[in-house]
Amino acid sequence: MKILIIEDEAGLREVVQQSLEKEKYIVETAHDYISGFDKLGSYDYDCILIDIMLPNGSGLDLLQEIKKQKKQSAVIIISAKDAVDDKVKGLDLGADDYLSKPFHLSELHARIKSAMRRNNHNGDNLIIWKNITLSPEQRTVLIENNTLILNRKEFDLLYYFIINPNRLINKTAIAEYVWGDHTDQADNLDFVYSQIKNLRKKLKESNAEIDIQAVYGIGYKMS
Amino acid sequence: MKLQNYTLRYLAVTLLLVIPIWAGIFYVLILDEVYDNIDDDLKNSKIIIVRHAFADRKLLNSPEFGINKFTIKPLPKGNYHTKDEFFSTKEFMEYDNDDEPIRILKSVFKDEEGNNYELIIKASIVEEDELLQDLFLALIGLYIMLVISILVVNHLLLKKIWKAFHVVLDNLKEIKLGTGSKLKAIDSPIDEFNTLAKEVEKMLNRNESIYSSQKQFIENASHELQTPLAISINKLELFAENSTLPEEQMIEIGKITDTLNRLTRLNKSLLMLSKIENQQFSEEQEVDFNKLILTLTEDYTDLAEFKKVKIIITENDSLFFKMNKGLAIALISNLLKNALIHNHQEGFVNFVINKNEIIISNSGNNAPLNSAVIFNRFYRHTTTNESTGLGLSIVKSIINNYSITVEYIFTGDHQFKINFPKK
Repeated sequence: MKILIIEDEAGLREVVQQSLEKEKYIVETAHDYISGFDKLGSYDYDCILIDIMLPNGSGLDLLQEIKKQKKQSAVIIISAKDAVDDKVKGLDLGADDYLSKPFHLSELHARIKSAMRRNNHNGDNLIIWKNITLSPEQRTVLIENNTLILNRKEFDLLYYFIINPNRLINKTAIAEYVWGDHTDQADNLDFVYSQIKNLRKKLKESNAEIDIQAVYGIGYKMS
Repeated sequence: MKLQNYTLRYLAVTLLLVIPIWAGIFYVLILDEVYDNIDDDLKNSKIIIVRHAFADRKLLNSPEFGINKFTIKPLPKGNYHTKDEFFSTKEFMEYDNDDEPIRILKSVFKDEEGNNYELIIKASIVEEDELLQDLFLALIGLYIMLVISILVVNHLLLKKIWKAFHVVLDNLKEIKLGTGSKLKAIDSPIDEFNTLAKEVEKMLNRNESIYSSQKQFIENASHELQTPLAISINKLELFAENSTLPEEQMIEIGKITDTLNRLTRLNKSLLMLSKIENQQFSEEQEVDFNKLILTLTEDYTDLAEFKKVKIIITENDSLFFKMNKGLAIALISNLLKNALIHNHQEGFVNFVINKNEIIISNSGNNAPLNSAVIFNRFYRHTTTNESTGLGLSIVKSIINNYSITVEYIFTGDHQFKINFPKK
């Protein structure tokens, strides 16, 4: 899997690159419009992350270029501008997703995975982790062919863990994923904690080969 | 007190002083002139009488005042000085049945033979008391007429003149920074008002541009903070993931991450606030608040259940209002979130939807909040680290964009009442 990051901020570019390389992606980077344009012309990527505001050009123009070249890559726009306009425009131009800065790395992985999954029309869309099979479209979970009944939030949680295996996930990232933008209170974190407890219990009862560990002070890690 | 009444008051008092003074001077001058005139007349009469007396000696013996209003009396021989003597006295007049003032000329003249004769001529003069009285009445009349005419002129003319000023005044009242309020133009022949209007407009434009650049600054600053925040958070996440640190140090990293997350939320809320104030949520639609409240409470059911808080919705009517959908969601969810968070176990959140209002009440602390400050930025009732203190200011800035009002009432429960304009 090949990913291109077009981002002018060196710090962000590096950290995203390192994080993605941990996931065994092949990562290339570009720091401005021109180098981004060159890379786009020379190689094919499975996923492209584009910052909207780039030196000497706009990320949206690059997006148009990708669509013009009929590339099959999934495109995720990353922007500091959380402007509705940009979001709508980006998605209209054919971006698969829009992520506003700052984001959690686990959230970025989740977005990349689901964007590529949606982009990959001919493959099967099931996500498999050991004896767990999860269908994001049907919102069903099978454990050794037995259906596990989860409520909406529990399903979202499990999906988030499975899409981020072996990664340390910040508790705020989980709360934001499950709660959207409503997260700004300690209550929600307590709530996430209790939801995870319930999820663990259900998974254990159905003999799922999964281990969700709490990393004290930071969040959780699934392995 | 209105300007025109104010000036009128001073004018009335001043006139009350000026008119008697003027009247006194006028009276003295007029009387002086009248006496002067009569005396001249008497002198003239004397010349004519003396001339006639020389021609017709019969006249030299007119001891009584007849219709001629003069007497001539022969005087014993002697030396008399012939200077004219004037004085005023009173005499009974049949017509008035009263003593009336008269003016008398007393003089001595000699005939051809050198006999002395005394000539007395009288003339009736103005009655001073009646003159005074008449003058007094006339002056009262003058005073009243002056005041009335000032009143009328004030009312009509000043009203017309000051109209421009009132337009400027209304303009000032209507100015609301950041809404791009336009000033009504004035059409006045008076330079001062035109200058005033021009200066007010200049000042408004200056303030508008300061205001908008300040708002822009907050927005830009928030934007610019996003990337460094992203880098810090992500670096820490990666660091925590890659390192095998002892638990205590992991906890410290966790705390730093939490702080950065809080900073992110704060920044996002600030960004939201400045976007609302910069009117970047301009797209409007009819929002079905009944539906919106049902959907939002549904979203929060899990959290409410977790907190063992009961959410009850009473729909007395359906409420539609034209506004930005995103802002409508932010408005309701901020209040709902507040109601859930500042609640206790086994508490409740009640929604009552009426024709033009939504009432959100919740159980909570028994002390009322200070309604004067709860909508202020960064006001926190409790010092929970997690709260940004911006939730209710977001509510406030949303309603400021529309003609909605929100009031806080404490009735044992905490109540927020959203009033929509009556249709």
